[in-house]
Amino acid sequence: MTAEHVIRAQGLRKVYGKRAALDGLSLSVAQGQLYGLAGPNGAGKTTLIRTLCGLLRPDEGEATLLGWKMPSTRVRSQLGYMPQDFAVYNDLSVMQNLEFFGQLYSLRRAQVRERADELLDLVQLTDRKRDRVGTFSGGMRRRVSLAISLLHKPRLAFLDEPTAGVDPKLRRSFWDYFNALADQDVTLVVTTHLVEEAQRCHLVGFLMAGKLLTQGKPEEILAQTGTDNLDDAFIVLQERGEVPS
Amino acid sequence: MTSLAVARNVLRRILRDGRTLALIIILPLFFVLIYGNSFSGSYSDLTIVIVNADNGLASVRTQEVGRITLTVDLAAAFVSALDPDVFDIVILDDADEAFSMVGTEAWAALAFPKSFSNAVVSQAIRSSGERKVQFEGSSVTLLPSEIDAGPPTRLVIDDSNPLVASAVIAAFNDAFTAVLETQQSSVTVESLLNVQRLYEGKIRMLDFTAPGIIGFAMTLITVMLTAMAVVRERTGGTLTRILIAPISAWEVTMGYTLAFSLIALFQAAELFLVSLWLFDIRFVGDPGAVILVIVLFAVGLQGIATLMSTVAKNEAQAMQFVLFLLIPSIMLSGVFWPLETMPATMRAISYAIPLTYANSALRKIMLTGQGLGALTFELSVLGAIAVVTLLLSVISMRRQAYTA
Repeated sequence: MTAEHVIRAQGLRKVYGKRAALDGLSLSVAQGQLYGLAGPNGAGKTTLIRTLCGLLRPDEGEATLLGWKMPSTRVRSQLGYMPQDFAVYNDLSVMQNLEFFGQLYSLRRAQVRERADELLDLVQLTDRKRDRVGTFSGGMRRRVSLAISLLHKPRLAFLDEPTAGVDPKLRRSFWDYFNALADQDVTLVVTTHLVEEAQRCHLVGFLMAGKLLTQGKPEEILAQTGTDNLDDAFIVLQERGEVPS
Repeated sequence: MTSLAVARNVLRRILRDGRTLALIIILPLFFVLIYGNSFSGSYSDLTIVIVNADNGLASVRTQEVGRITLTVDLAAAFVSALDPDVFDIVILDDADEAFSMVGTEAWAALAFPKSFSNAVVSQAIRSSGERKVQFEGSSVTLLPSEIDAGPPTRLVIDDSNPLVASAVIAAFNDAFTAVLETQQSSVTVESLLNVQRLYEGKIRMLDFTAPGIIGFAMTLITVMLTAMAVVRERTGGTLTRILIAPISAWEVTMGYTLAFSLIALFQAAELFLVSLWLFDIRFVGDPGAVILVIVLFAVGLQGIATLMSTVAKNEAQAMQFVLFLLIPSIMLSGVFWPLETMPATMRAISYAIPLTYANSALRKIMLTGQGLGALTFELSVLGAIAVVTLLLSVISMRRQAYTA
C-alpha cells in the first residue's frame, strides 16, 4: 500500500441484466481525504460503495482498501460503513444499538459510552438515547445509523447518503464533523444526490450511468466547467457527456 | 369499484412475484399429494419373530381304529396364512431370544409350543363333537377326548404404538381364523394365545402421539422464528452491517444458534411441563436424554431455516417456504401413523425429515424409558443434520450479506 492512497479501484465493472451499474470505473482516494461521490439516483453510487467494501463482487476490475485486495476480512475493523437503508434495530433503543455494534468491534462498555456521548451529540439524539429507534422518523434513524458507522473510529468510512432526510442545520454540522475527521487522517467517501453538498469535500467525483464524469477539487471542477456552483457544473458535464480519460 | 382496484392491484403484485405465484400453485398440490400418499391405511414391513417348535402332529381317538396320529402342521399353516406384505417374518429357534427382540427389533414375537397342533385339534374335536376324517384311505370317526391344551402359545407384543399393536393382533386373528376354519373348529383365538403386552396396555394414543406433537411444535416455532429473523436481519440491512464488522459468518451463525437453542429449550420445557401437568402424558425416561435430543434437533432446524431464508426474498416467502418442511413433518414423520403404513416412496421422504428421528428418539425415551444406548442411530442422524446444516448456514449467511 502506498501511504497516501487508501482506496484504489481499477476498471470496476458490475452489470445487472443489460444495465452496467459500474462501467469500467477507476478511482483513487488518498488518506485523510473527504471524497464526495455525487450523482443522480441510479448513477451507481451505492453499487460503487458496496463493491469497494467487498459486499459486491465486480464482474471486472479490482479494488484495494488500505492495501488489501477486496473482498478481505483484514480491513473490517478499520472500515466504517453506513448503508443507504437504515440498517438499525427498530426494536432496540439507540444505546442498545450502539452497544451491540460496539461489541462486534470489541469495544468495551466504557468505550461505547464515551463514543456514544460524542456521536449522539453530533447527531443530536443525546436526549433520545434510551428511546426505541422504531419510534423515530426516517431522518432520525439515519442519524442513528451514522453514529453506529463511526462508533469504532474507523480509518476509512463509506457513508451512503448520510444527509438524506436530515434538516439543513444538522446537515451542515455533519459536514463539519466529516471535515474534522478528515483532519484527523480519517478517509471518508460520502455519497450524496445533492450535488451542491459535495462542495464541502476535498475531492469530488461526479458519477453518471456507472462512469465518473469527472473527478477533482470542487474549485477545479467549477473552473473546468465555468460555473459557480456544483449543481450547474454537473449539468454542464452531463450535457457535454464528458467521460474522464 | 375501489375495492376492485385494490383487488386488481393485489393480484397484479402477486402475479409479478414469480416465487409467490409458484408457491400458490405448488403448495396445495404438494399438500394433497403428501397427504394422499402418506397414509395408505394398510401396514407393511412390520417385523415379527416366530419360533415354531410345533411338531405338527395331533394324536386323536377314533371309534374305528383306536388312537391315531394325524399330521396337520397347524403352526406352519398359521405362518403361511400371515400376509407377507404386512409382515417381515424372522424365524428363530430360541423363544427367549425372540421375546427379547420385541420392543427393539420386532413388533411381536410368537412361540408355538411343540404340542400346538395337537392342542388345537384336541380342542376342535371337543368343541365340535364327533366328526369323520379320512385316515389311510378309510373314513374314521374322531372322538372327543380330554382336552390336551398343552403349554400355551405365547405372544409378546410391543404396544408402545397402539395402532401397530392393534394391527398386529388383527392380522394374527385373521391368520388363526383361516387356519381354524380348515379344522372346522369353533376354537377361539383368545383360547389359544397367551398375549403379553410389553407395556401392559398403559400407553394411550395420546402418549403415543405426544412426543411427535411436541417435536412438531418445536419445528413450527423454531423454523419460523429463525427464518423470519434471518430474513428480517437481511432485508433490514443489519446483517450486512454485522458481516462487514470484524466478525465471521461462523460467529454470527453460532450466535443465532445459541439464541434459538435457548428459545427451543424453553419452548420444549413449556410443552413438556404443560403436557405432563394437564394431560399426564407418559414420561418414563431420562430428562437429560430428552434435552440432548432437543438441542441437536433444534440446531438442525435452525440450520434448515437459515438455508430456507437464503432463497426467501421477504418474510412472506419465508413463511411459505417453511410450509414445505412443516407439511411433510406432520404427515410423514410418524407422528400420527407409523412409518410402516407408508408406501416406500413416501417412507424415503420420511427419512429425510429431522422430526422422524426426533420423534423416534423421544418416543423411546418417554414411552419405553430407553437410555442413550438405544438412541445411537437417532442421535447420530440428528447430530449429522445439525453439523451439515450448520456448515451450510455459515456459507448461506456469508452469501446473504453479499446479496442483501
